[in-house]
Parts: sequence; C-alpha cells; structure tokens
Amino acid sequence: MKLDAFLERVYEKNYKKLIFASLGMLVVALIILGINYYSTGSFIEKDVSLKGGISVTIEKENLDEIEISDYLNQKYSDINVRTLTDLSTRKNIGLIIESSGIAEEELKSVLREKIQFDEGQYSAEEYSSAFSESFFRQLIKVLIFTFVLMAIVVAVTFRDFIPSLAVILAAITDLLVTLAVISLAGIKLSSGGIIAFLLVIGYSIDTDILLTTKLLKRKVGTMYERFAQSITTGLTMTITTVVAVLVAFIFSTAPVLKQIFLIIFIALIVDIISTYIGNASILIWHIKNKK
Amino acid sequence: MKIKQLFTTRVIILLFLILISFLAIKPTLNTEGVAIRSVDLNSSAAFAGIVVHKNLQPTDYERILEINSQKINSLEDYSRVIDSGEEKLMITTDRGFYTLLNENIGITVDRPASNNIIRGLELQGGTRALIQPSEKLTEQEYQDLIDTMQNRLDVYGIKQLVIKSASDFEGNKYVIVEIAGATKEEVKELIGKQGKFEAKIGDEVVFNGGDKDITFVCRNDGTCSGIRSCNEVQGGYQCQFEFQIKLSETAAQRQADVTENLDVNVSEQGYQYLEKPLDLYLDGVLVDSLNIASDLKGKAARDILISGPGIGASQEDALQNANDNMKKLQTVLITGALPASLNIVKMDSISPTLGSTFEKNALTSVLLAILAVAVVIFIRYRNIKIALPMVLISSSEAFLILGFLTLIHYNLDLAAIAGIIAAVGTGVDDQVVIVDETLGKESANWKERYKKAFFIIFAAYLTAVASMIPLWTAGVGLLKGFAIATVAGVTIGVFITRPAFASIIKVLFNE
Repeated sequence: MKLDAFLERVYEKNYKKLIFASLGMLVVALIILGINYYSTGSFIEKDVSLKGGISVTIEKENLDEIEISDYLNQKYSDINVRTLTDLSTRKNIGLIIESSGIAEEELKSVLREKIQFDEGQYSAEEYSSAFSESFFRQLIKVLIFTFVLMAIVVAVTFRDFIPSLAVILAAITDLLVTLAVISLAGIKLSSGGIIAFLLVIGYSIDTDILLTTKLLKRKVGTMYERFAQSITTGLTMTITTVVAVLVAFIFSTAPVLKQIFLIIFIALIVDIISTYIGNASILIWHIKNKK
Repeated sequence: MKIKQLFTTRVIILLFLILISFLAIKPTLNTEGVAIRSVDLNSSAAFAGIVVHKNLQPTDYERILEINSQKINSLEDYSRVIDSGEEKLMITTDRGFYTLLNENIGITVDRPASNNIIRGLELQGGTRALIQPSEKLTEQEYQDLIDTMQNRLDVYGIKQLVIKSASDFEGNKYVIVEIAGATKEEVKELIGKQGKFEAKIGDEVVFNGGDKDITFVCRNDGTCSGIRSCNEVQGGYQCQFEFQIKLSETAAQRQADVTENLDVNVSEQGYQYLEKPLDLYLDGVLVDSLNIASDLKGKAARDILISGPGIGASQEDALQNANDNMKKLQTVLITGALPASLNIVKMDSISPTLGSTFEKNALTSVLLAILAVAVVIFIRYRNIKIALPMVLISSSEAFLILGFLTLIHYNLDLAAIAGIIAAVGTGVDDQVVIVDETLGKESANWKERYKKAFFIIFAAYLTAVASMIPLWTAGVGLLKGFAIATVAGVTIGVFITRPAFASIIKVLFNE
C-alpha cells in the first residue's frame, strides 16, 4: 500500500483521538515531573555542574565500580560512581565519582585507600554551589529566551493561530517528555544537557515547519499525498540525526558529550510522535474545520 | 561529463574557503623532534640566542632535532640527553645550531603540533580556576588583581598560562586562570589566597609584602637563600628555610622605632634577645617567629633574614615542603597582597591523558556519525550522486568551522565539538529538504519555492543565531565554544555550503 493511502486510512477516522494520544503523552510527562517536584523539590535531579560539588575522574583500567561505590556509600550518603568506557577499545578506562557533600582533598585521600593512582590519572572538577546555581539560572533563562524567540518566528512565519500553537505545543511536548524520560532513567542533568535542550528546540521546529508548510501552504496533490511527502522528507531528516547522535553517543567518552547526544536521541524519538501524530492531527482537524 | 559545469560560482567560493581553512589549520606530517615552547630570561638558552616569539601558531615553534648528535624524537629523549650530565649541549633545530652550557638551560619543550588547532584545557589537560573576589572591586582594583596574579604566577615560574577577566549576565565578575601543566594545589596556593604578608612585633606591623616595604628578595642564589637545616622531630622531619630580604628605608625605620622601646632578655644559652620576637604572618597565619638579637635594638637594619619551616614524614618530604614554602613566601613578598581575598568558585584539573582520550573519541565519533548519516542517505535515495555530495558538503562544513575557530584562535573544547556536530546535523537536514524539494514531483517551479522557503530558512537561521547570543556570556562563557561553533556553522551553512550543494544537485540532475 502506498504511504498516502495508509495515512488517509489511519488519520481520516482517528485524527481527533490521535491529538489526545499526543496530549496524553505530554500529560503523563507533566505528572512524572510533578511527582519529582513534589517529592524532591525540583523537576529533575541536577549534577554537580548545576548544583555544586565535585566530580573526580580516575583514569585506570578495570576498576570495580560496584566495589568502590559500596565502599564510598558506607562512608558518605551523597555519592555517585559511574564507569568511564572507551567503546572503540571496549575497555573500562576509569571511574567518575561525583558528590555534593565532600571536600575534594578528603575524597581524594579516601579514594587512595582503595585505589592506587598517580596524579596523572587523576582529574577533578569542583563547583561552588553559589556559582552552579547561578549558572543553572542563567541557562534556564537562555532556554526560555530561545523558546520565546522560536515561538515568535513560528507565529510570524505562519500568521495563523492554530498552526503556530500546534508547532509550539509539539516543541513543549518534545522538551517535557524528554525531561521526564531522562528523570525516569535516573540521569542527572548537566550543563551540557541544557545545551542539548536548546538544540532540541531547533530540531523540533524544523520538522514541524516542514509539515505545516506542506499541509497548509502547498496546493499540489491531495492533503495526504503532501502529508506523505512531508513524512518521507522529515523522517529522513530525523533518522539521519538519530543515527548520527546514536553513533556519537556510543563512541564518545566525555560524559558531557554523551549526555548531549542521549538527550537529542530521546527528544528526536519523541519528536516523531509529537510531529506526525500530534501536530499532524491538529493540522488535519484545522484544515477540515476551515472547509 | 559535465564536471566543468560543477564549478559554479558558489562551488568555487566554497573551495576557496576550504583552501583558507586548510592554510589556517595547516596540517603537517613533519613532527620530528620536540618543540621549544618557551625560553627563560637570563638562561643559557637565552644567551645562546634561542628566542620564542609571542603569538606563534602551534606549528611554528622551533623544533629541536638533535642534541650532541643524538636524535631527539620524544620528550623522553630530550630529558635523557639533558640529564646525562654532559657539560655542553650542541643543539640542532630545524632553524639553526646552538651551543650552550648544560646549566640553567631554561627551555620548556613540548610535543610538536601536527596542526594549528588550539586545543582547550579539557582536551590538552591542565588546570582552570574561576575566581571571584569576595568583595566588589573598582575597575582599577580589578585590573590590579589581574596584574598581581599574573606577576605572582610569573615569579613562581608557571608558564603557559592565560589570565582573563570574565563576567556573566547576572553582573558577576570573575577572573579565569588557565594553566597547562601546573597542579591544582599550586594554583590554589598562589591565587586562591590573598597572600597578605605581615611582619609584626607585638601588635605593630613593621613591614608588609610588596615592593613598597621590601626592595629585594633573594632567591635562586645559594649564598643568601636556601634550606639551612633538617632535623628529626616527633612524627617526622622538619627542615628550616632561610632567605634574605632588604627593607626600604621607611620600613627599616619603622622597625627601629618599635624595637627602641623593647627590653632585652637573656636566654638559657646566654644569647641576648629582645623581649618580643618578629612574627611573620601569611594571610593571618603565623609562619614563624624570629628572635631579634639585642644589638638590633633601635637600629634601622635593612637586611633581614626571613625563615620558616617545612615538615614531612621523611626527610625528603620535609625538604620538598620547606622548598615549596620558601618559594611561596618569596613570591608573595615580591608581589604583595592581592586587593581582595578570593573565592575559587570553580576549579577543574584535567589530566592530559584523559583530555586526549576525550579528544580522540570525540573526533572518532564525529567521523563515524558522518559515515552513519551517509549510510542512511544512501539507503533512502539509493543514488551515489546524492549521497556523495551530501557527505562531502557536510564534511567540508565541519572542516570550515574548524578552520574558522583556528583563525580566530579559539581553543577547541568539548562544547565547541558539540556545536560542530549540531551545525553539521542541521546542515544535513537542510540538504535533505533541498534534495526532496528539487527532485520531488512539484519541481516545476522550483526557483519560486526556493525563494519562499528562503524566508523560513532565514528566519530559522536568525533564531538560531539570536538564541546563541546569551550563551556567549551565560556562566562566564563556559559554553561559549558551543555558541561560536553553532553560529559559525549555521552561517557557513546558510550562506556557503547549502547554496553550493543546491547548485551541485542542480547540475548533476540537469535542472
């Protein structure tokens, strides 16, 4: 069956339900984030770069993450140990230890009791909490600023209330659902993660603008033919990016890059739903209403 | 074939810029020897005529190829020859020949660079501190702060450092210090503390650090500075350092006035001392108390011996500790106190090996990502005429961004690499749109629609650029690399690579 016929069969009957499916996803995300906020006082757990603390990296092969983690957790409450992996050689090349409660010197000497390492294998990042909190506030401002700019550009481009709103709604869905997913996965948001969300806004509206232009502004072919074309182009765009960030996620080592790639990956998957189920259904409804 | 037709104006502009990037990055295979990164003043290298000019590109440093007819191919080779105890060094570089004494050589060497891309701290390793004065400073005090810090690190002998001021859009002002190859502890000691030195007799301050009170500080000269004794004490060893300073006349007079009124005590061993000692304080902590000989009472003595301890578990540790303490004290005596006490609000120290692992893997992942995109594009279009130009154009985009960053001397960091990836990702997306729109069914009035689409493309471009501007200063520009790379990338995309791509597709498919 051709794509446009398939789309017609699915959407013609169900577009209203599909609007609610996409909205439902947003509502679930809001509930998850709300629960987070209610139980911890913030929507998402932040890493040391955004709340202050230390992050120590010991670059030594085959350290036992569980053993070190157990050892440190017996002594301290707020500590987080991760393994640093180099996928190109498939080796564990070190450990990352993060904490907001301990002084760096103390952690270093406690680590020395368990692990033998020299200075060249030791890296540390230290953030004061006042600085990190101000950094976080500033980045959130940047994020809001970008979002508003995006909304203005969309509104000016389409000069039509419902389609503009649909694009903005899709972007909100992408951001919040992704945030909920990473909070469920227990990932702590870093400054790099916020950069990723900036990128997500850009990637998100790309496909939505394409879809809206095709459906509303072009006149050649039936609506579903144009919808099908927009899906083919838009999915190619999304899939190239998804594959690229997935590969980059797997093969990069730096935690900050890894988080950027992971967030974009999740957001693009969410974007497929929010664009082609949510936004598309709203547009179909809007076109039918106009007639 | 229509190869000649491919060279449209747009493609020629692209090729020209690729050439400029190539010249800026200047990849070179000739990386023999070790690069001379700096030469100390008054060192034997400086006397032999070795000069390192300021603002050199990484590939432009003079390289040592041979010393005493032994080939130098690594830093290990270099230190082996230097440490071999030869009296004279005959150094052959890629530019000349020098003979110097193997004593106080004063050369800092590094691996030769294979290109001009300057790697940021995260990739090359080193220490970065973000420092905030504890009180609000005037513009002048702020400048003094930076000058004193610079001076202090220079005096201490730390090389390859960057000190710059920075502010964020909440109005906070900071100083950023970046040092390749210094430990965190040294940096913390040198600039994290105000370095307020006071010599007191009783409650009266006799003199402070800095050139107002102290006209000369002896260092690196065994006759008037050094470790004088080491003893076993409870739980380890203690060594005593000693160095001479010269006071200004006013400071010496101040001392005379204070000591005038002091009584003389006689110690058990029969030595005669003044009743109060000279107490040396550094940042409010007592470093040492020196007994003042009775014959100095009321005298404006200008030569003073400063001393202090160093302790350690072994004698070697104590010696090292005493040496470090001496060096620190000498440094603050020369440079004086900073205008305010400081808070280190962020401190990173990245080991060079971790940095190079990050770099290597980040670049590998960029290449693999482009490859993966190529596979997807090929599967979608099954046409090499589309997939190949797309991959070439995307790679050239990444290369142009790198060239741009090199030209503006921006240090490549992880944030910038993320920006490059983001820009290339956006580039591929737009190329997909161009291909689908150009070769789609509606391609009859393609030009018309490209014009219409241009409004959207341009609006999206302006949004991207505008949204990056606050990121320039947010968090004192920690993510500036991302903003610069993204803005450069989307600009190059909209004005150079994308038009070139469109024209290539047009020619290949005979529009």
